[in-house]
Amino acid sequence: MAAKEILTRRPVAATIKLTVPAGGARPAPPVGPALGQYRLNLMAFCKDFNARTQKYKPDTPMAVSITAFKDNTFEFTVKSPSVTWYLKKAAGIESGSGRPGHVTASTLSLKHVYEIAKVKQNDHYLQNMSLEAITKSIIGTANSMGIHIVRDLD
Amino acid sequence: MTAWHFFKHLNCTPALQLIRSSAFSLSRYSSSLFFVSIHTTAPDQWPPRAQIKNAHANSSTPSSSSLAVQSMASPVPVPANYVSVLLRCNKDISDMLAEALLSFGASSVTMNEDDVCPGTDEICVSSIFLEGEDINTSISYAADSIGLKEIPRYEVKILEEDDWMKGAQESFHPVEVTEGLWVVPKWTTPPDSQATNVILNPGLAFGTGDHPTTKLCLLLLHDCIKGGEYILDYGTGTGILAIAALKFGASFAVGVDIDSQAIASASQNATLNNIGPDKLQLHLIASQTSSSSRDEWPFSVVEGKNASEIETVTHKEKYDLVIANILLTPLLNLAHQIIFSAKPGAIIGLSGILSEQVENVLQNYSPFLEGIEVSKMDDWACVSGRKRKNIGIC
Repeated sequence: MAAKEILTRRPVAATIKLTVPAGGARPAPPVGPALGQYRLNLMAFCKDFNARTQKYKPDTPMAVSITAFKDNTFEFTVKSPSVTWYLKKAAGIESGSGRPGHVTASTLSLKHVYEIAKVKQNDHYLQNMSLEAITKSIIGTANSMGIHIVRDLD
Repeated sequence: MTAWHFFKHLNCTPALQLIRSSAFSLSRYSSSLFFVSIHTTAPDQWPPRAQIKNAHANSSTPSSSSLAVQSMASPVPVPANYVSVLLRCNKDISDMLAEALLSFGASSVTMNEDDVCPGTDEICVSSIFLEGEDINTSISYAADSIGLKEIPRYEVKILEEDDWMKGAQESFHPVEVTEGLWVVPKWTTPPDSQATNVILNPGLAFGTGDHPTTKLCLLLLHDCIKGGEYILDYGTGTGILAIAALKFGASFAVGVDIDSQAIASASQNATLNNIGPDKLQLHLIASQTSSSSRDEWPFSVVEGKNASEIETVTHKEKYDLVIANILLTPLLNLAHQIIFSAKPGAIIGLSGILSEQVENVLQNYSPFLEGIEVSKMDDWACVSGRKRKNIGIC
């Protein structure tokens, strides 16, 4: 598990994965039951998570991975939704094309891709990539979903 | 009040359906009596103060369930029906399976370090599903999507929401914020009876004195309050800041919050500290920022009260000290209200922000504040200053 590499030597009790809307963590399901069973400080998590996800649009589903230590402390990492999620949302479609390359599911402009790239750059595992590189990667993903990228939408 | 109103509209069999359809787990649950927690189907309604526990149901005739309804005086969150599923799978694929489960309807997935089954390569993965999810289908789709040939064995356990709520409250201990100031849980005796003790039962609201932002704000209040001030606590949570301010000598405090659980917790805490409505008023306001619309509401709406109440709550230039321990986005959106409600020369304290967000707050507030100070603790910061005397805000 990637989280293990950045851990200190405190003994780990469990790894919890869940999806929480940006800025919307509350002491209720899904957060409540998942964290409560390990006696973690729910309110501290909510405050911390909400503060750290202020830069995302509210209700964006963030993938959270929490490492709960045996002494009831915890650490967590947050990832923004996948590129496919952003592309589907920008294009207003539920799923990609069944036959990418042959059937186009939707069309987006470079501006959309650029906006997505700017958000993804916040993810810490992408921080070393240039905006251009992230943009190219997004275009690649779009093509594999049957989403056509054009310079400008008219 | 009868609980039948809840149950007419509820499909109270989701737990029963999944027990019937999951092929593996029934030997442990073959007895016809089990406990479920039921919740209302309108999660955004503030439920009347009753919590439904211990419904005994016969698995073959779900319509004949009889219920015991207990009413609780303390703040009651919406009871939730959820299920914990324990799966066994190979260690190598546990990560992938976790991601797959999350995509197919699980609300969370947990891998317990101690659950590595000895002698095999298998590990236990537990997953929580909320009411209404078809667990068998979710698990089979998840297994299928990562290429497993067969559905992993799994067990289903129905959980009471009390399990996690109790766990969450256990992390609250007495905290000495500074010399002579303690925040103490209601169920503990204050370690120092001579000190200023704020007694709290937090429920599910924020503010136990433990968090750096709460401490920063309490320290600000401790330093700034001389006696007789009017305080406005924006985002009051448990009411800790308003109550502490009154204990430091302020004469009147108003606490506002968008969360009804916060208001309920704060009003209970006011009573615990012998503070009556003549000293502390609490108001529930609707959240200004909705995720879908960028159109700003001109003012927060006080639930169930008319528009003139808003003027009373955030009255123009009424408060000597305004403290807001919330989050960056609301601080920016509410800047107008916060400044508006403070008297010229009043102290304004803003927190709930990370150190990296201070710049943003300063940019938005420095036209209105002078003598700005930033205090920090761990990653968190508190910005404070005095409202400039000659601002042309109406």
